[in-house]
Amino acid sequence: MELEKCYFKDGYLIDDESNEPLSFHRVNSVEILYEKKKKRAKFIGNYVLGDMLGEGSYSKVKEVLDRITLERRAFKIMKKKRLRKIPNGEQNVQREIELLCRLNHANVIKLIETFYNEEKQKLYIVMEYCVAVLQELLDSVPDKKLPIWQSHGYFSQLLDGLEYLHSKGVIHKDIKPGNLLINTSGTVKISDFGVSELLDSFSQSDIISTSQGSPAFQPPEIARGCESFHGFKIDIWSSGVTLFNITTGSYPFEGDTVYKLFENISKGEFTIPSDLDESLSSLIRGMLDVDPDSRFSLIEIRNHDWLRKKLIKNCSPVTIPTRPNGDALRSMTVLPYLQNLHYPSESSIDIWKGSYSTETSDQNKNENTSANYLSAATGSQGKKKFCGRSTTSHKSSKNKFFGCSGIKSFCQQS
Amino acid sequence: MPLFGKSHKNPFELIKSVQEALIAVEKGDKKAEKATEDLSKNLVSIKNLLYGSGDNEPQIDIAVAQLAQELYNSNLLLMLINNLSRIEFEAKKDVAQIFNNILRRQIGTRCPTVEYICTKPEILYTLMKGYEKHDIALNSGSMLRECARYEALAKIMLYSPDFYNFFLYVEVSTFDIASDAFSTFKELLTRHKILSSEFLEANYDNFFSEYQNLLNSGNYVTKRQSLKLLGELLLDRHNFTVMTKYISNQDNLKLMMTLLKDRSRNIQFEAFHVFKVFVANPNKPKPILDILLRNKEKLVDFLTKFQTDRADDEQFNDEKAYLIKQIRELKPSEDTRASSSNQLSSQQSSSSSSSHHQHPSA
Repeated sequence: MELEKCYFKDGYLIDDESNEPLSFHRVNSVEILYEKKKKRAKFIGNYVLGDMLGEGSYSKVKEVLDRITLERRAFKIMKKKRLRKIPNGEQNVQREIELLCRLNHANVIKLIETFYNEEKQKLYIVMEYCVAVLQELLDSVPDKKLPIWQSHGYFSQLLDGLEYLHSKGVIHKDIKPGNLLINTSGTVKISDFGVSELLDSFSQSDIISTSQGSPAFQPPEIARGCESFHGFKIDIWSSGVTLFNITTGSYPFEGDTVYKLFENISKGEFTIPSDLDESLSSLIRGMLDVDPDSRFSLIEIRNHDWLRKKLIKNCSPVTIPTRPNGDALRSMTVLPYLQNLHYPSESSIDIWKGSYSTETSDQNKNENTSANYLSAATGSQGKKKFCGRSTTSHKSSKNKFFGCSGIKSFCQQS
Repeated sequence: MPLFGKSHKNPFELIKSVQEALIAVEKGDKKAEKATEDLSKNLVSIKNLLYGSGDNEPQIDIAVAQLAQELYNSNLLLMLINNLSRIEFEAKKDVAQIFNNILRRQIGTRCPTVEYICTKPEILYTLMKGYEKHDIALNSGSMLRECARYEALAKIMLYSPDFYNFFLYVEVSTFDIASDAFSTFKELLTRHKILSSEFLEANYDNFFSEYQNLLNSGNYVTKRQSLKLLGELLLDRHNFTVMTKYISNQDNLKLMMTLLKDRSRNIQFEAFHVFKVFVANPNKPKPILDILLRNKEKLVDFLTKFQTDRADDEQFNDEKAYLIKQIRELKPSEDTRASSSNQLSSQQSSSSSSSHHQHPSA
């Protein structure tokens, strides 16, 4: 029984390596052992690979460790073949990279570097590591919502990030809990700029004509199919839906099909659950105003009573859920691979099960040190900021492999 | 109440004794030395009340509310700030910590201390003047930046005539004070986007004529930081009107062209990021277009060779290539063709030297 469980658990951890669909391989009878698959350390560039964090329509995301700075990073791996099959896939990826290069804000995900492997036809995007997605927090509780005070904290960080993006002329267009990441210190990071748009710095207005965001978060002007609309107000609307969602656990507009949904959105009628207090309801109503001209601006939101208020922590927060493999701390998944690399004989000891009590504490220590490194690194980045745009040049100077021209050709040669 | 250790004064008594000590210190008679000591002790007690100390948790709301109320009633904040130089070194830091804590106090949506300071703007003016005394400059700076987080207070500071003193403070010879002043200056100009863009629009001439001095400063750090901040201000969408105005002025373009040829590579690089805005502007006014046209060949040549060792910086190279293309494709507007052809050469040197001696009032 015990053994079975263990086996099951382990299967969970391993599914990341064998992604080739039709690779048969024969196993010798001596190799059929009731031993877990070894985690063989894999290096790509200066990074040691860990477990998979998630998978999207574009890419796989894995946790990695920078072997020079020892920082935890996230690795977005995209296959050229796969990208080609997605409409606008390559353009979206290229745009995302170009946009992220220009951005530098605490509440916006940072791009560390990118490189392309010609042989494997894979593009690697290295990003800041975040421990969870806001959506995961929502999904982990039965009523799918966060305490008001906790929502308040995340929402005000979202506003900070959004204000920065808008000041740089970037319209995100896909704000939703699934695109808000949270790092170990609870900082919200806006991510996924795949469908974002950068306004021309000389165009006076923010009128745009395309949007590809998630349907439930689209404003009435898009649901109605208007030809052009104010870009910044789209983000306000979707932030409003996000706020509604994280405080009530439901969506203001729903529909069985996209058509039904859009019909409901364009009517603009929704009900706010009666248990929300008046100031929060009035904020949501202001953000979900059908008329983009009278819809709140960022400044109006910021000056709204609900945001100026200091909320009392009257209940415990929704915490980051335990990983499916039972790791409550979401420790660095690179470690077992390194363990296997350096101490192959001991690797049969299951680190996760804590059968080796020092191991777990070691892990924690390791996490702390990497956190320290992280803060040290951000500190030095702050200093660097002062001496020119060296953050970007630093980024790309690490771009030994193919430079960005590689990426471009990657995205263009279709 | 603890069994051992000092007796604990209530907030009212604490404020009272700080006040008395301050009056004695202000007089500067023979009691002053003893008073300074008392003052330091009482300030530590107030700080502990707010932040907690060792095992003691910070005080409950009622005590803090009492303390804050007493601070407002007695006008003690201003007194403390006025006498900051007379207070002992460690106690100065305590004052700053007490000030910053009280400032953040919130009741519902209200910030009582912010409201209080709005009625006593002398507090802010005195703090700004703090940059003139090097023993209190950094403490004043930390309090100022805390104040700058609140739009109402930032507004008072921006619109006070003393704001223009920052142009002097950021250039003082003591490096730490100058950089502290610069970060406060930057905070005031970038924290509250709408506020600062309104300020810049309304005070465009005054502000940028002073700013010109920073860009021409002999102090490397000032020059570089102000150039970087300029780029940040101009490229922020909130400052669209200001940007349009700035890039329509030929003197500004001349200055950037001069800075492109600065001795320091870093200054050149920052100047590039402002210069690009002039070139990329789709609606270049005639004087700007004229200058660019006159220097067309030279600029293309210059940019082609400009910092070629930054081969790794994709964004920079893209922008450079874009600028070169833009300049190559420049066409004189109808009425400029005649005048520009005979001035093609020898213009860049004259334009750069003219901006060298440029007076800020220009």
